[in-house]
Amino acid sequence: MASTVELASSFIEGAPPGELADVVADVQALTEGEDIIPSLLPAFKRYNEAQLAAVKLPGSSQEVGFAREWSMSAVKLTFAGKVIVSGFNELEDNRYFDPESQISFEVDHTTQTASAAQSYALESDHADLIKSLLKSFGVHAREHYPNCSYGVYPIENDTVIAIVLVANRYSPNNFWNGRFRAIYQLPVSSSSSTLTGNIHVDVHYYEDGNVALNTTKPVNISIASVSAESIVSRIAAAERDYQEALNRAFVQTSEGVFKGLRRQLPITRQKVEWEKVGGYRLGQDISGGKGR
Amino acid sequence: MADAQFDSALDLLRRLNPRDTKTNLQAITTIVPDLTEDLLSSVDQPLEIRRCPQSNRDYLLCDYNRDGDSYRSPWSNEFDPPLEDGTVPSERVRKLEVAANESFDVYRELYYEGGVGSVYFWDLDDGFAGVILLKKGVTPGSQSSGEWDSIHVFEATDRARMSHYKLTSTVILHLANRSEALGDMDLSGNMTRQVEVDLPVESDASHVANVGRLVEDMELKMRNLLRFHTIEEVYFGKAKDVVGELRSLGPLSDANRDRETQREMIMSMQK
Repeated sequence: MASTVELASSFIEGAPPGELADVVADVQALTEGEDIIPSLLPAFKRYNEAQLAAVKLPGSSQEVGFAREWSMSAVKLTFAGKVIVSGFNELEDNRYFDPESQISFEVDHTTQTASAAQSYALESDHADLIKSLLKSFGVHAREHYPNCSYGVYPIENDTVIAIVLVANRYSPNNFWNGRFRAIYQLPVSSSSSTLTGNIHVDVHYYEDGNVALNTTKPVNISIASVSAESIVSRIAAAERDYQEALNRAFVQTSEGVFKGLRRQLPITRQKVEWEKVGGYRLGQDISGGKGR
Repeated sequence: MADAQFDSALDLLRRLNPRDTKTNLQAITTIVPDLTEDLLSSVDQPLEIRRCPQSNRDYLLCDYNRDGDSYRSPWSNEFDPPLEDGTVPSERVRKLEVAANESFDVYRELYYEGGVGSVYFWDLDDGFAGVILLKKGVTPGSQSSGEWDSIHVFEATDRARMSHYKLTSTVILHLANRSEALGDMDLSGNMTRQVEVDLPVESDASHVANVGRLVEDMELKMRNLLRFHTIEEVYFGKAKDVVGELRSLGPLSDANRDRETQREMIMSMQK
């Protein structure tokens, strides 16, 4: 039988967007008397890296609120207020770097907070490409994701570039939260290349119920010339196509599968005449009650 | 403290993926075995189908027709595996149960055009209670599938010439879609609504009609009548809106320029 730590870990890793703290509180209540949080550290780390947790850089005063009070001038001041934690930008145990701000920082995975910031100089043969990708991808991200963080990192011994984006919107007062993640990898060994990755959308709505949308869209794009602008324009097109496909799927599912499950009204367009169906008569015995 | 743990368990199940409720329920009761009984009777899960050996008809399994490891068929009133002294309704309530099964069988054909349904009644001190279960699955093509489970639990309390009905309805819906352009899309969940009402009762036959109309109206409302809080609204409207909140199809700078212009106009008018 699975241990309490294994089961609790699966709860942590299954936390919907923006609800990690609520899940942690429930886990603590269910395991009362045990100090279980330290043994869940690996699960917190897996969750943060898989979900591209966005943390505030230590010493920066920016907050996430810019999404609501957005204006062009405010964007320049507050954008990149949060940086990504992922499996692609970890330097050593729990220390991550952000190439855009050229800072490395330590992450407390249980609280999703960053500390001990240090300046960090990117070491990569592809530093120029990474810088121009950050610039182009940043323009694209700001143009389509009201509240997002992104990063571009050299991985696999500097042979592949990872481009990641996470966009979160939390509205717990209205019982919904959502997350959009895009994770791409581009081998940079030759002049032409294939960008592969996945787009994930997770939406949770939980007023008087529990409804979840979870999607995974594999992306596979051949890149003719490895330049930041052409890569980002191909990514932008793929993301737009995907959002349009998803919007069509809502309509198709509603008109198709959903209608096939239960009719809005019977084919007669009349509601059921309950006094006439089933043939219940007082005093009639059960075996004789099938007089339809 | 057990109450607090029970509440936390329900909160957790309301947050974790509704597709995995069964697994998560097992995990919670492994951690806190004392919660098992209470959680099994208050957490709705997709219904399982079993074939009644007597009537050769399918029926649905839930906590209300379970006794130990056996389930009672609504068609034969027998338990499977057989039980010597399984709990069955009184003669009067069983008669109502048989009538309700017949009526809801017609209802199921009219609205679901297939699927499986079962109605179970049981006695209360001052009336009776019951559950109406409906299940339908579709797989049009191999790339998409849908499953609907309705669970309507009611209590009917006797009053003079009237009966007080309290209905709690849950619809569990699983929708899956896959295509080249879409990848994998899973839209799953459950929604619960409640209604209480007093209705006139002339004879026992009135109960079946009253409960029938209550369930019919509830399913109609939950499916589509009300603008908000319907399955259609929540599953297809809300989910799409939130995706639109996460990502803007059009460039945000256009939208912001418009908003900025509007703001400046308002500012200049206020001066």
